Amino acid sequence: MFDLIGNLGLGLAVAFSLKNLVLCLTGCLVGTLVGILPGVGPIATISMLLPITFGLDPVGALIMLAGIYYGAQYGGSTTAILVNIPGEATAVVTTLDGHQMARRGRAGIALGIAAIGSFIAGTFATLLIAALAKPLTSLALVFGPAEYFSLMVMGLVFAVVLAHGSILKAIAMILFGILLSTVGIDLETGEARMTLGMDFLADGIDFAVLAMGVFGVAEILRNLDNVETRDVVKQSIGRLLPGREEMRQSAAPILRGTLIGSILGILPGNGAVLGPFAAYTLEKKIARDPSRFGKGAIEGVAGPESANNAGAQTSFIPLLTLGIPPNAVMALMVGAMTIHGIVPGPLVMTNSPDLFWGMIASMWIGNLMLLVINLPMIGLWVKLLKVPYQLMFPAILMFCSIGIFSINSEPVQVLLIGLFGFAGYILAKFGFEPAPMLLGFVLGRLMEENFRRALLVSRGDMATFVDSPISAGLLLIAAIMLIVVLLPSFRRGREDVFAE
Amino acid sequence: MTDVARGALGSRKQAGAVSRKELGAAAILIALAVLGFALSSELPRGTLRSVGAGMLPQALSVLLGLCAIPILLGALRGAGEPGELTFSLRGPALVLSATALFALTIKSSHFEGWSTPELGLVVAGPLAIVIGGYASPEARLRPLVTLALFLTPFSLVLFGDLLNLPIPIMPRYVQEVLLAGWSYRGALRLAAALMAGAGVLVLLVGRRVSAKVPTATKGG
Repeated sequence: MFDLIGNLGLGLAVAFSLKNLVLCLTGCLVGTLVGILPGVGPIATISMLLPITFGLDPVGALIMLAGIYYGAQYGGSTTAILVNIPGEATAVVTTLDGHQMARRGRAGIALGIAAIGSFIAGTFATLLIAALAKPLTSLALVFGPAEYFSLMVMGLVFAVVLAHGSILKAIAMILFGILLSTVGIDLETGEARMTLGMDFLADGIDFAVLAMGVFGVAEILRNLDNVETRDVVKQSIGRLLPGREEMRQSAAPILRGTLIGSILGILPGNGAVLGPFAAYTLEKKIARDPSRFGKGAIEGVAGPESANNAGAQTSFIPLLTLGIPPNAVMALMVGAMTIHGIVPGPLVMTNSPDLFWGMIASMWIGNLMLLVINLPMIGLWVKLLKVPYQLMFPAILMFCSIGIFSINSEPVQVLLIGLFGFAGYILAKFGFEPAPMLLGFVLGRLMEENFRRALLVSRGDMATFVDSPISAGLLLIAAIMLIVVLLPSFRRGREDVFAE
Repeated sequence: MTDVARGALGSRKQAGAVSRKELGAAAILIALAVLGFALSSELPRGTLRSVGAGMLPQALSVLLGLCAIPILLGALRGAGEPGELTFSLRGPALVLSATALFALTIKSSHFEGWSTPELGLVVAGPLAIVIGGYASPEARLRPLVTLALFLTPFSLVLFGDLLNLPIPIMPRYVQEVLLAGWSYRGALRLAAALMAGAGVLVLLVGRRVSAKVPTATKGG
């Protein structure tokens, strides 16, 4: 307990330096901006901004990038409430009741409660990360290659369960992602794999290139196909601070949302996306009068909004303690850490405590900043929403090109984001989601490494994966999840959750 | 947004008809599997005791191919989401051209026997914005040019000046001949100022034109 306070104190001291405060603020503002603009997500933005962090020290770089991620969760809900378009995938459910509240002249209250809920969730998640960091890190130290491999298998199975649409297609995309990760020189034998003899593929496909292609460029192509009509709420936004009655109504949903979001966020395999759905379903189930939902119920905003912010933050836990990125944004964080020579994993906490605790403390500061700056700035954000998409996407295209070019001055990479974008667009047309592919790609290299190492240690005996109780347990959970998800009855229930 | 829409669509299943979307999905998986296997077939598979470089890629290709079978069977039974498959050519073609032109003009690339000239961001940036911008059917030249004239100097200053990233600014011969004595930063700032100035000019002229025809610039 005293450890915890001492560590957070160290973190606050690091995060409160002027430079880190400015970087945190920058990250939060950029994050809010991309969260608000539909069609620009945190994944594309962070990969665009990776080269910018070259010039920063690792603590500052990670503080800024983390700010972009949770700032985007804030911004996404603003668009959901005001325009009825989710600015981010996690804000989908907020459109249901948030926009209805706005239609009834209570936009300000909806935005206010979303911000307050997010802040409470953020505070709780920060404390949770700080409390869980030590025990999970010591757990990580007993993990061998077999356990790591099994944990990643479980993470990928979760990703399948949580993916939208067809399960088989999600599995196929994960396999394809792992296959893509094997391109390049094999680290153990030094043989070039599937490089077609091209030099630029020898180091493998750059993660930022793939991410920017399938999330930046493909997203543009998809948006160009469906012309959206933005109907920004015309009613006045009204007062922002909720009254006592509204606070009383939302207090319990905020706490429940925070709890659900935090737990789902820790799961490897992008559990954070499911948080808001689960929170909304729960609120609707336990409400005395469920028919109010969809017509501007404040609980339908408070719960999911707290859940998405909590999940966004707790998804840092697997990365910081086990070194396993649970989603694509965290994978970019791995990239940012690697650029600065930090290997994500259990050793970060002991080797560079200022980085570890500074980043955690900055999350809380960032949430406070978001609460204070965002509410007064809503007028400005509304103006930004009026920028037409046909001017926004060329700008995104150019920034992507410059960003990827400046990573290693390689024009081929720019060409590749175009090609990956096109491939992502075609795949999406046939119902393949890009997110599982990216996760497979990220975990692929780690998985192969641990798989081979485990077999080397056991002299080729596959039983090594079930001999250790931890590894066997993880594989068992994965197997059960996979069987359950393939059962017809569960399948229907899963469709309902996503259709909700 | 799309999830909600898809959920609603998914429950209305057409019986009997072969789903072209699912058929296409299976075909894509088979093609990827064949490609993956073909490219990695030369690599040694090794044994479990010492796993070779080819084992994982080959195993993954096989699994990828196996995934295609149930999808194919489902497609023949008419399962899956009914959905019209519409592709637009304009968007992908122009966006791909924009990134390709950016890649070819930003820095000189050397191929066997020939190489492309280095034109720098001053050319590559506007090219990407204007060509890419036409991917939208509602694109109009003037707003795109204005955007390019402001965003390019902004990126020059941000990436080149503030962040110190080595980005070629302008065509090499222009820099060597006209701005011989200039430093990298000086040349960069001059180029940025000139472009932004041109942007202001275009904006002012555009405003005067739109003042005469008040509805001309009112768009999406």
